[in-house]
Amino acid sequence: MADKLRTQQQLEALQNKYVGTGHADTTKHEWTSNVMRDSYASYQGHPSMMLYMAVGTNTNVEAVRRHCMERMVLPVGPPPAMEEDEE
Amino acid sequence: MANIHTSQVFYSLTLEAPSAPTAACLCNVIPELRTTEPQLFEARGDKVYLKRLVVTDHDSKLETILEQNVFSIVRDVGSFKIPGTKEDFLTISSDSGRMVMLRYDIERNRLEEIHLETFGKSGIRRTIPGQYLAVDPRGRCLMMASVEKNKVCYIFQRRPSGEITISSPHEANQSNLLCTDLCALDTHWSHPMFAAIEVDYAAVENGSSSHSISQKSLNYYTVDLGLNHVAKSWTAPCDPTANKIFTVPGGTEGPSGALVCAEGRLYYMHKGMQAPLTIPIPQRQGALETARSRYIVCGSMFCNKKRQSFFFLLQTDDGDVFKLTLEMTRVAKTKWTVDFLRLRYFETLPLARSMLIIQTPAFLYVLAETGPSMLYHIMGLADDEDFEPWNSFDSATFADHRHKLEPLSFRPRDRLKYLSHELEIPALHPLMRTDVENLTGEDTPQIYAIQGRGHNSVFKTIRHGVSVEEIVASPLGNVPYDKIWSMKRAVDDEYHYYILLSSSYTDRTTVLGIGDEVETLEDTSFLASRATITAAQMGEDSHVQVHARGVRTISGNGAVAEWPCPTHCTIAVAAANQRQLILGLSSNELAFFFMGTNGELNALEDFPEMSDRITAIGIGPTPKGQQQAKYGVVGCEDKTIRVLSTDLDSPLEARSVQALSDVPTSIEVVEMVDPKSNGSVTYVHIGLKSGLYLRAIIDEATGELSDVRTKFLGHKPVRIFPMEIEGQQCVICCSSRPWVGFNHPISKLYTMTPLVTGPMTAASSFISEHISGICGIADSDLRIFNPPRLGERFVHESVQLENTPRNFVRNPWFPLYYVIESDGNTLSKATENALLSEMSDKQHALPQIGQPFAPHHWASCVQVVDPINSKIESTVYLEDNETALCCACVGFEARDWEVYLLVGTGQDMDVSVKETGYQGRGGGFLHVYRLMDAGTRLEFLHKTRFPEPIHAIAGFQGRVAVGVGAELLIYDIGTKAMLRKTRGAKVPNRIVTINTMGNRLVCGDVAESVSYVVYKPTANRLIVFCDDFIRRWTTTNTMVDYETTVGGDKFGNIWSVRCPEEVSAEADEDGMGGFIVNERSFLNGAPYRLDEKAHIFVNDVPMTVKRTPLVPGGQDVVFWSGISGTMGAMIPFVARQDVTFFHLLEIYMRNRKELEQIDKCNPPLTGRDQLTYRGYYSPVRGFIDGDFCERFLTLPPAAKQWVATEMENWEVPEIEKRIVEMRTRAAF
Repeated sequence: MADKLRTQQQLEALQNKYVGTGHADTTKHEWTSNVMRDSYASYQGHPSMMLYMAVGTNTNVEAVRRHCMERMVLPVGPPPAMEEDEE
Repeated sequence: MANIHTSQVFYSLTLEAPSAPTAACLCNVIPELRTTEPQLFEARGDKVYLKRLVVTDHDSKLETILEQNVFSIVRDVGSFKIPGTKEDFLTISSDSGRMVMLRYDIERNRLEEIHLETFGKSGIRRTIPGQYLAVDPRGRCLMMASVEKNKVCYIFQRRPSGEITISSPHEANQSNLLCTDLCALDTHWSHPMFAAIEVDYAAVENGSSSHSISQKSLNYYTVDLGLNHVAKSWTAPCDPTANKIFTVPGGTEGPSGALVCAEGRLYYMHKGMQAPLTIPIPQRQGALETARSRYIVCGSMFCNKKRQSFFFLLQTDDGDVFKLTLEMTRVAKTKWTVDFLRLRYFETLPLARSMLIIQTPAFLYVLAETGPSMLYHIMGLADDEDFEPWNSFDSATFADHRHKLEPLSFRPRDRLKYLSHELEIPALHPLMRTDVENLTGEDTPQIYAIQGRGHNSVFKTIRHGVSVEEIVASPLGNVPYDKIWSMKRAVDDEYHYYILLSSSYTDRTTVLGIGDEVETLEDTSFLASRATITAAQMGEDSHVQVHARGVRTISGNGAVAEWPCPTHCTIAVAAANQRQLILGLSSNELAFFFMGTNGELNALEDFPEMSDRITAIGIGPTPKGQQQAKYGVVGCEDKTIRVLSTDLDSPLEARSVQALSDVPTSIEVVEMVDPKSNGSVTYVHIGLKSGLYLRAIIDEATGELSDVRTKFLGHKPVRIFPMEIEGQQCVICCSSRPWVGFNHPISKLYTMTPLVTGPMTAASSFISEHISGICGIADSDLRIFNPPRLGERFVHESVQLENTPRNFVRNPWFPLYYVIESDGNTLSKATENALLSEMSDKQHALPQIGQPFAPHHWASCVQVVDPINSKIESTVYLEDNETALCCACVGFEARDWEVYLLVGTGQDMDVSVKETGYQGRGGGFLHVYRLMDAGTRLEFLHKTRFPEPIHAIAGFQGRVAVGVGAELLIYDIGTKAMLRKTRGAKVPNRIVTINTMGNRLVCGDVAESVSYVVYKPTANRLIVFCDDFIRRWTTTNTMVDYETTVGGDKFGNIWSVRCPEEVSAEADEDGMGGFIVNERSFLNGAPYRLDEKAHIFVNDVPMTVKRTPLVPGGQDVVFWSGISGTMGAMIPFVARQDVTFFHLLEIYMRNRKELEQIDKCNPPLTGRDQLTYRGYYSPVRGFIDGDFCERFLTLPPAAKQWVATEMENWEVPEIEKRIVEMRTRAAF
């Protein structure tokens, strides 16, 4: 039992430290949100890709960055309603 | 990683570094130059540059002090002055997960690492700080933040001993917190503070908040220097659209606090204010402008500490720059209250990534997001209240974002008022596509490029070389001259007086005099009836003219003496300096003369005989303060050169012999500065009949030749002419085109660059009262031009285009390019004209600056460009909201192989591409144009509708292969429409490129690499037989051979994949009997998988790859270009031993630990490991990083020696030679 508790604590510590670390009950929404947030964060860090996107969408780099930042809040939309969890 | 160089290995080399700026800041690393020459630190791609602004009376320039490749993705740069130090320190935030503090070492001209602290994993990650960098204005600490959660702060301290110490990292982390922007507040000398615009998404994600948009807030973080920790000290809700934050000066200069920029609004916010002070961002008035909120993309604060005044320059997304001032009243010494905000329209400038206001001299440096960066001289600061009162706005509204404000509008100007254009720094970004072709029949192919955004787009012809500005080009009749000398009258004269032109064809010499004009002199003592072999001003004021039958000496008083050539022989070649003269006689003998102080030539009695006919002679220049040069070099027909002593004690004694690959045609001995030691070294430059140029060092003591470097210059014999350019001794080499050899001013390497001008037979320096340059002879034309600007690498010629170019294709027969252009969210020309015609004159009066924004509209056209005459031949505008996506010139078998231009389009596209409806509108079209009037005009034939936009087309066996969405189809031309012939092959997502060879088609998928497709003509079927096992977001690819594809992806990788041999053979089996038809799909893909042969990260999105040679006589390389303006080459290795050599070099160069101990040299400045950087997404395979190997050339000598020792059996000069030749052999 103590072992299980420690594992649980370790996992929680990990999840706290490394955003996006999953657990047994990770939902699809959590998972996809994490993937999208990682992607948006990565785009912003690559200047040439930002320029590529800015040229492609006929805007500017700041607009693309703003868009990425805004999308990071709810990248795949709001979470699904809670009741549906019941079988 | 040990040895994965299994088969083909490439040497990856950057030919032109990326020009797209990432970040820049002002700094002061050379304290002595603080007030006279302000310095800048800027990052472009993976390179950082330290520059200084040099302003003279007649011009100003940005001089590069230092450039260095840091082998990491640079995200921001900063500079700070730690209290008590004289100079500024620099910092770079990158993907290394480390904080670096750098100091510029003036003496060694390099950046020295003071501190390097690791705080996280490497790579661009969501929670690893590095995205934002803010430095305390008083230089006490800096903060780096990540996009989400983490912030790290370092505190600096200066010990009394002068040593700079750095604290351990202080973290201020909060989960679920997104940071939009970060800045350091000016708190005067109280605890440093940082302000950030942040969003906590925890509430919305848990569903516990009713808001669909999270609350954005402005948070202050205080760094407590006493307690040594960082804590959030204040928070206030702010505009949910806020995207930028700037610091407001504090202390005695201002009220402190932050300027928050949001969509359509600006706010001044500070702790203790009830509500923020706000002002709307004015909107443009223009004939075609629609109401739309602008946002700030970039800005700069300027604070004059002496006058205690400050202002902001803020640029909107249209490029309009506003000057923002805070009107304040002083309450106490360091306490102010802000009364109102004043916004004045300043100028409209190119959209910037960074704007720097330089105080003395008053300049504005705009690092443009696209196109060339600009330097402006600031003439005024919009202080005049009466000028354009309608463009000045005040606001004293204290309210937050929920309070709506009346929109403001202003009238933009179309010309500069407060700034004057000073300097344009050429740039290539965004480089959409390039092509390497030789359309003009020159020695080397030219690079054709489409570049730019919107109405600033250009079609560029890029040539490697330096441009020369021609001052005089005068034909001298129809006599072909082949030699030219320009001479002074006496040694102490300032200017040249005589120009001698010799023609061996007509056996005549012409003498010109330089006065106010250059004119023929008839009555000189020079012998005009013979061709001159060499002529020189010797001694004090004598002139020597060597012709085939003798040597004529003209002394200063006009007396002429003639030395006749021995009987039965003639003079073949000659060389002279100020005191000595060597003749090569046709009897293979050498004659040697020495000029005494009386101006008479004294001949040496014996004529030593050489081994073969003498073809070239060179003699070193007379050293300053001495009478004689030490060495002369003689070249003979038997392909050898001999170094002879020219000392009077041991005249013409052979010192060393060197065998050559061909007959030497020209030899010059030149004293040049050795940049490594800054001492003077004697070089011998040798031109060979085969067009090869060699350079070797003559050992001062022994006369031995060493360190021979070669370069192929052209298909004609090379002739060499030494001269002085920009204060350094250079050589001009004339082969089929002229070249200049010099020590590069920045890299300090000896560089050979072609002069972009016509061919030249001979050249000489030319110094007159008005012109100081070069005179040259090209057949019978005398040409005088300004000296080239050393260090320039490319010469551009450009043609203006209408819209952003997307792709282009060459006419197969004529030197013409068809460029497809399109701009999203922009009014098309036709709609624009229609709208304008409906308007009243009053509305018309307002100028329209830039392209009018209009959502869901597309402006698109096809233009025919003639790059040779630099003009647009014709333009076809697309209608019906269509946008051109791809193009190809296709010859149709059904039409007797007549070539048509095919353009694939999409209709009603969203700028973020998505499939559109098919019925009615949307989808895509395939336009067919007939090429008229030698390809200069396009005649629309017909267009065919498709269900999806068309992103790729390619000619295929007299028909055309079209990628429609995920499907590959083959079409033939019909009279009314294109006719479908076959279909069947599908890629996973969308076809974006098609390459063909034989029956094979290679389709690039937008997200899943390439698929190999075979066409079976007998069954008329397309079969996908091989695809990739890695997802690659293909942007471009090319088949370098039948099996191999090289391509690039959106994440900045270049890769090479190959089809396994047996699979390739199976696919090509005759008929349908083969297995390939019945092969089962493997893991939901094609039956077989491609092998990855090479992979490297280049930190730029490759837009073009092409297999082509780049230099005359060079091997084929894979040329690539990227959107940030990078041009590079992948040179395939031919010999196994070269691979081993460079592989070893890389290994020892990577040894940071060892190198650091030697002379404190540390190659990657940001602390990023080069190998992990090049393997950012996938491990490096089959590549040697040439840019990294070239860093060897810049290492200090001790470090070079260490690497050489470790590598065993290698000497430093030998390694350097191999590195340099790797580049010069295949590229430039």
